[in-house]
Amino acid sequence: MNLILAVILFLLMLYIDKKRGLKLFFSLAMNFCILIVIFYLIAIGLNAIVCSLIGCFVVSCVMLLFVNGESVKTISSIKAIAVVLLTISVLIFSVTYFSRIAGFGYESYEEINMFSYDVKIDFTDIAISMILISLIGATVDSSIAISSALYEVHHNNKELSRKELFLSGMNIGRDILCTTTNTLMFAFLGDFMTLLIWFYKCGYSFGEIVNAKTFAAEIIRILFSAIGCIIVIPVTAFITAKALKKQDTSADNGTEAAEN
Amino acid sequence: MKKKKITILIIILLLSAAAVIFVSNDDFIYSQQIMKITDIQTVDEQIQRNSMGLNEEHYTRKITGEIQNGSEKGGIKEIFYEETFSSVVTDRFRVGDKVFVDGTDLQLKRDVYLTIVISLFVVLIYIVGSFKGLLSAASVIINSVIFYIGLHLYINGINLLFLCVAEILIFSILSLILASGMNKKTLAAVISVMISTFVMLLLLLIVVKTSDYKGINFNELSFLTVPAEDIILPELLIGSVGAVMDVAITIASAMSELIAKNKDISESELNKSAKEIGKDIMGTMSNVLFFTYLCAGLPVFVLALRNGFLMRNYIASNFSLELARFLAGSIGIVMTIPISAFVCIRIMKRGAK
Repeated sequence: MNLILAVILFLLMLYIDKKRGLKLFFSLAMNFCILIVIFYLIAIGLNAIVCSLIGCFVVSCVMLLFVNGESVKTISSIKAIAVVLLTISVLIFSVTYFSRIAGFGYESYEEINMFSYDVKIDFTDIAISMILISLIGATVDSSIAISSALYEVHHNNKELSRKELFLSGMNIGRDILCTTTNTLMFAFLGDFMTLLIWFYKCGYSFGEIVNAKTFAAEIIRILFSAIGCIIVIPVTAFITAKALKKQDTSADNGTEAAEN
Repeated sequence: MKKKKITILIIILLLSAAAVIFVSNDDFIYSQQIMKITDIQTVDEQIQRNSMGLNEEHYTRKITGEIQNGSEKGGIKEIFYEETFSSVVTDRFRVGDKVFVDGTDLQLKRDVYLTIVISLFVVLIYIVGSFKGLLSAASVIINSVIFYIGLHLYINGINLLFLCVAEILIFSILSLILASGMNKKTLAAVISVMISTFVMLLLLLIVVKTSDYKGINFNELSFLTVPAEDIILPELLIGSVGAVMDVAITIASAMSELIAKNKDISESELNKSAKEIGKDIMGTMSNVLFFTYLCAGLPVFVLALRNGFLMRNYIASNFSLELARFLAGSIGIVMTIPISAFVCIRIMKRGAK
């Protein structure tokens, strides 16, 4: 069934744009491979948080450099993503540490009961890496949208100051934010429907649902994806505005030096 | 303007603080017994070797706590709790934690942490997104409530697929009106979402009927008492509707801009620019879905590999459902591009004449 779906997707992408579609399909396949490598490295017992941080960074480099090519926009985006990843991982670490959402809730016991639970790997780390990896897609998405839009703005009006550039970046960010929140939220609802049905069938009360591990884990995961894409907006706007202005001054200096 | 923003921000911060304080003291609402841990002693420590030769520490803890609610309020309780290093199914409790007590089973009270993260989200979305950000947070909340009501109806015996299609209609109308107001743009976007949903539904039904779910592993849904086949289709639909809405409104805004700037623009030109915009969004959006869905497979993957399962065999089964979700969502995204271009041209061009 997945094969048929994949073929349909591929054909649709080709219909929209042959070159881009091909590139996109290829980059998705590449992301899948990187993802499996990250998962594998975590599973053989390397530090899960470090693995996923490096993995996220590699993924964003691939997505940005491969699909969009090297430029001021992509470099600024990558810098912004690195900053966001480091900041947010501190937040994620503390929330996961306190809320104890690691491991599996009761609903999953049937799925995992064929395994031994003595696996000598701390599932707190696994939960943190899961949140980190799931937010990278949305974060890269909003980051590149802002840096390319800012690049266009700057290109069309070179007179804008750094502050004005930053503010227009925030303006663009606002629109992206709303749509991305929606996308994330529904992706999560679909995933979540089965879980809620199960809670219902088992007669869970509202209080029990809210405190259940699986429920909390899912909500925290999706909220962090949204938070990642919120934080990346000002960071990208700031870094890109700075880089664009710096590029200008160095270009000016270059021409002045040549004139002298 | 700036002053107003700061005032609202302070109000939000105060409300969040109030919510957090309330939730950390809401023990009286719960009918289950809640205990606050005052002391944890390790009474036994064992090392167990599993079939892979890994040494796992098992601890038996004596957990002492004070009961916070109910008839035994103020009483002291002692419970022996077995915990493992990996915490696959157990939790590592600490002094000061509040836990639900059910026989000898302990479950952490997580509502406080949820409230904190939700508050963080609302505060950040307001700082960055201003009022518009708050509106999108509100639409998320309203949609969740509708979703919750919908599930109630399902439990009472209404067909899930029908319910989901109805919910998608309500979701899209509400979210799109909240996001961009009542205008022709929104109308075009709503109609595009509807058509895309129906086409998606048809397409998925055909794929499902021809392949009979071959290669999809329903293990993940094994906890359900209803057949997984009934759930999967609605799930795929709901999962993709957010992305479909996103694409529809992006295309509709762009089309209305183009028509506003140049009333004489031809249909083929509009079609071309829709594809141009679609090209850019389909890549980033499918990446969003890709990571959101696929990373859900990580914990089981780790567990399986640590149990000596072969990776090759495991990828095929472990990721099948997540992959199906991702593929369906991406198909939705890409399909909506031409559909919404078509709808926008019909609606907006006619209005312009």
